[in-house]
Amino acid sequence: MRLLYEIYQYREMICSLIRRDLRGRYKGSVLGFLWTFLNPLLQLGVYTLVFSVIMRNGIADYYMFLFVALVPWMFFSVSLTNGASCILSQKDMVQKIYFPRQVLPIAFVTSQFINMLLSFLVIFAVLIVSGKGWHWIAVYFLPFIFLIEYLLALGIALLVSAVTVYFRDLEYILGILTMAWQFLSPVIYSIEQVPENLRTIFLLNPMTSVLTAYRDILYYKQIPKIQTLCHAFGVSIVLFAAGWIVFKKLERRFAEEL
Amino acid sequence: MEEAILVNQVKKCYRLYLDKGKTLKERALFKKRRKYEEREVLKGISFSVLRGEAVGLIGQNGCGKSTTLKLLARILYPDSGEIIVNGRVSSLIELGAGFHPDMTGRENIFINASIFGLTRKEIKQRMESIIDFSELGEYMDSPVRTYSTGMYMRLAFSVAIHVNAEVLLIDEILGVGDMYFQEKCFRKLQEIKRNGTTIVIVSHSLEQIEEICEKSIWIQEGEIAEIGLPKAVHTSYRNYMNQKNIRENS
Repeated sequence: MRLLYEIYQYREMICSLIRRDLRGRYKGSVLGFLWTFLNPLLQLGVYTLVFSVIMRNGIADYYMFLFVALVPWMFFSVSLTNGASCILSQKDMVQKIYFPRQVLPIAFVTSQFINMLLSFLVIFAVLIVSGKGWHWIAVYFLPFIFLIEYLLALGIALLVSAVTVYFRDLEYILGILTMAWQFLSPVIYSIEQVPENLRTIFLLNPMTSVLTAYRDILYYKQIPKIQTLCHAFGVSIVLFAAGWIVFKKLERRFAEEL
Repeated sequence: MEEAILVNQVKKCYRLYLDKGKTLKERALFKKRRKYEEREVLKGISFSVLRGEAVGLIGQNGCGKSTTLKLLARILYPDSGEIIVNGRVSSLIELGAGFHPDMTGRENIFINASIFGLTRKEIKQRMESIIDFSELGEYMDSPVRTYSTGMYMRLAFSVAIHVNAEVLLIDEILGVGDMYFQEKCFRKLQEIKRNGTTIVIVSHSLEQIEEICEKSIWIQEGEIAEIGLPKAVHTSYRNYMNQKNIRENS
């Protein structure tokens, strides 16, 4: 509890790190902040070309099917790969000054999260322009799934950022792992396409239910199944707790190991 | 009087890796190389500081005085023993933490002060006096990368000194800027002390410590050699150093 209060006291630090990150990220590039929107759109273009024009999978409005899962996935994967180095890259600060160390992963994941919310503006814009619209009651479930995914990403970021301090290889291992993870999550396909007997294994992946929920809401325009939400929530709480505990244990020697 | 800092039987070991493999390959292949030596930097030190008191830590290089300060600042954790610090701590161990070269002086004051745990409201209240103290008013809206080293340090010092901490930890930083600014910093420090802030200073300048501190702690190879009035402790410290010089020269 005391730690939570202390993190709350350092809220201004979290805010200014986020501001620094969001404003500093595209500094010097010509298109600047526009990249936040361009990046997912370009990825969407490539995937649509490959899986809808070349490999023709027969899913109606495939670009939309893909887009509503790709954006949340990109948030998660960046939290995992770049989140791993969020302590390491602030080495000077950690060695020289006290602050609750949790501030660093929290600020990093939150700034990525804000990025994702901005990308959702693009999703809604596309939904309007294409005339598809959305189901109002289903959309009310969106904040819940945002929260669940945020917890999940933060838990994972806490875990990997702390371990990376001691074991630098993790950063590179995660690069490959994330790629495999993406193909094992229902991003470019749906869980229904997975053979029946493998589905239980797929459900061990916390991102499976998270992505399914997003797709239910925005693509199928239906209220996500309650078991999907519960499953996603359960797994993210467990992972968040694990990340929190491991972080607390490992942070004691951060200043020496860096 | 109430104690602001209590240090009880604190020990601290550093792991000195002879050749540390940080990557998977190195760890798998050279298992033997991962051996490390444990070097005890602090061998059980105890002392206490009263509220409003100023204390100087002196000793040779590598004696453990900076480690002590970092333990007080909670950057490091002790292996055994306990440390209790009452009140908000501000450490002037590193100046300008989190400064971003592309951002303006004003924006950097915000970032830097927030790292000390100040809230938005508190920073806004202090903004004017921080800028005044640094005497950099006309440069506030230019990016920090255009500053000279001296200007950079002045800005950083101004922020750190305005945290209004109850316990202030200072490591060898009274050498900021030119003579004029150093004098100004020192006067500010005395003013802070008069307001009741507890101060712990690590310094090689014994005169500075004598001027501001009520107590000096001489640390020698991880143990406390002497605690007492600065003048008395410094006399024995100087004698010890002189004898050491004589021994080495003969």
